[in-house]
Amino acid sequence: MISFPVLLGVLLIGFLLLQVVPTDPATVVAGPTATKAEVDAIRNELGLNQPLWVQFGRYLGRVFQLDLGRSMISNRAVVDEIALTLWPTVELMLACLVWAVPLGITLGTLAARRRGTAIDRAIMALSVMGVSVPIFWVGLLLIQYVGGAGLLPFQGRNGPIWTADGFLSIILPAVTLGSVFVGPVARMTRTSLLETLGADYVRTARAKGASDWRVTIRHALRNAMIPVVTLVGLQIGFLLGGSIVTETMFAWPGVGRMAVGAITSSDFPLAQGAILILAVGFMAINLAVDVLYAYLDPRIARG
Amino acid sequence: MTDAALPLQSQADQRAIAAIRRKNAVWRRILRDPPAAIAALFLIVIVGSALLAPWIAPFDPYASNMRMRLCPIGGTRCPDFLLGADNQGRDMLSRLLFGLRATLGIGIVAVLVGGGLGALIGLSAAYFKRLDQPLMRLVDVLLSFPSILFGLAIAAVMGTGLFSLVIALSIASVPSIARIARGAAQSIMQQEYMEAGRAVGLGDGALIWRYLALNCWPTILIYMTLQLGQAILLGAALSFLGLGAQPPTAELGSMAADGRKFLSIAPHVSTLPCAAIFLVVLAFNVLGDALRDALDPKLRQ
Repeated sequence: MISFPVLLGVLLIGFLLLQVVPTDPATVVAGPTATKAEVDAIRNELGLNQPLWVQFGRYLGRVFQLDLGRSMISNRAVVDEIALTLWPTVELMLACLVWAVPLGITLGTLAARRRGTAIDRAIMALSVMGVSVPIFWVGLLLIQYVGGAGLLPFQGRNGPIWTADGFLSIILPAVTLGSVFVGPVARMTRTSLLETLGADYVRTARAKGASDWRVTIRHALRNAMIPVVTLVGLQIGFLLGGSIVTETMFAWPGVGRMAVGAITSSDFPLAQGAILILAVGFMAINLAVDVLYAYLDPRIARG
Repeated sequence: MTDAALPLQSQADQRAIAAIRRKNAVWRRILRDPPAAIAALFLIVIVGSALLAPWIAPFDPYASNMRMRLCPIGGTRCPDFLLGADNQGRDMLSRLLFGLRATLGIGIVAVLVGGGLGALIGLSAAYFKRLDQPLMRLVDVLLSFPSILFGLAIAAVMGTGLFSLVIALSIASVPSIARIARGAAQSIMQQEYMEAGRAVGLGDGALIWRYLALNCWPTILIYMTLQLGQAILLGAALSFLGLGAQPPTAELGSMAADGRKFLSIAPHVSTLPCAAIFLVVLAFNVLGDALRDALDPKLRQ
């Protein structure tokens, strides 16, 4: 039940965002030419002169009715803005996981099987580099050498992923985002696999004459996957951070780019909504990881 | 094994034990690992040049000269600028030195503040058994939460800028240091001298400070160093997004963002700061892995 206090904290941050802002929302909504009376009227209308705890209660009520207010810039409902940007972000994260996780597991397995050899050292060196590289550098290099050469589009999303144009336009962002993810997955797979390869049931499997690779894949890898799933789950937050940078760089119309844009243009209702949905999304993924866990390791389900 | 457990050892034994200890000293083990030794050396040079930036930078990092705008590395327009000039004709080398200074400074302040708070939480959790559960749940929550979201939320509430950036990075480094501090403190709590201290009537404050903190700080400090690489990477990403250091401040993340517009005509303007961040973080990570291996006897082969 880790999620409940986090959710409350995030809601409080979202609420504070609409309170502690340096600019007075009533003045902003009223526009620069409004008279003092007009500003006061709008302040009354928005309920901004009520005590804070009343405002927080009202805010919670509105959030649970999915009313997150209106963007100060486009004047559209924040929920609608989020609905537009949510799928592109999900699409980008899936497109990243779909290649980065299998590649990471493959490299990690290879490194564990060839432990201590040059292959192992090379894969581990790559993995350290992967966690050290600023994601925006990977993006800049891809934009410069692949996008700049006209090989692939690098500006925006040209349609859903199942269309040809949409698929081409997601390649560079997905490669950028996944590049920082392969390393940690490979490393965790290697460590975890080395542990399971020493387990009794692996020795049993070897003793009954199973081939090396069969032992690795059928017996050890499946058990080694549990920490890897945890890692992937924990690193989803990390991925979320990466997707914010990636979306901004590639003009990808997702939640992260919207959040950054809203913050830099002081569009507080939109910023609040974007941060809220990012946090809720993160918690939903963590829950999904817990469920996947129980599937991989029945001991957990039985408690 | 402690000396107290071997009361009858001869002088020769003592000399042999001392020799083994010296041979296995952490820094010696680091030096025997070439990548880690290179990383350590590199970091000493980098931190040194960042500290000395105002004295060793060949030019003023903020002095622009439009005639040298976007001058490439080794360009004839700017023979004095070793690494070319940026979009305002400022010397890249000087800006990189000052940028390193800012980026490292932000990271170090954040890790010291956040790590200090984390250490306090960890020590309290280990010392006051009743606080252990609630404090560690709080730490778990912080740890599970993506740190870039702190950056976004704090930038949104307090406005963008260096102060918000340092606060966000500090919060991000609290939970992992708290865990380490708790682990280190728990093993100290088992020691007999803790009981002895209590028996002679020392108060909680004195026990925590003189017995726990003073025995734990080497471990905590080493993990703070490891955390520094992550803090630098996160800080650079936030600055790159325009949520941290603002132009014209010479900071590596915002310099990289600045150069983005000139990628096709002058790639060095963004590539150099990116490469600098990469190398510094890589060095911290390589050194960090080596330190962890050296400190954790279980992982030693």
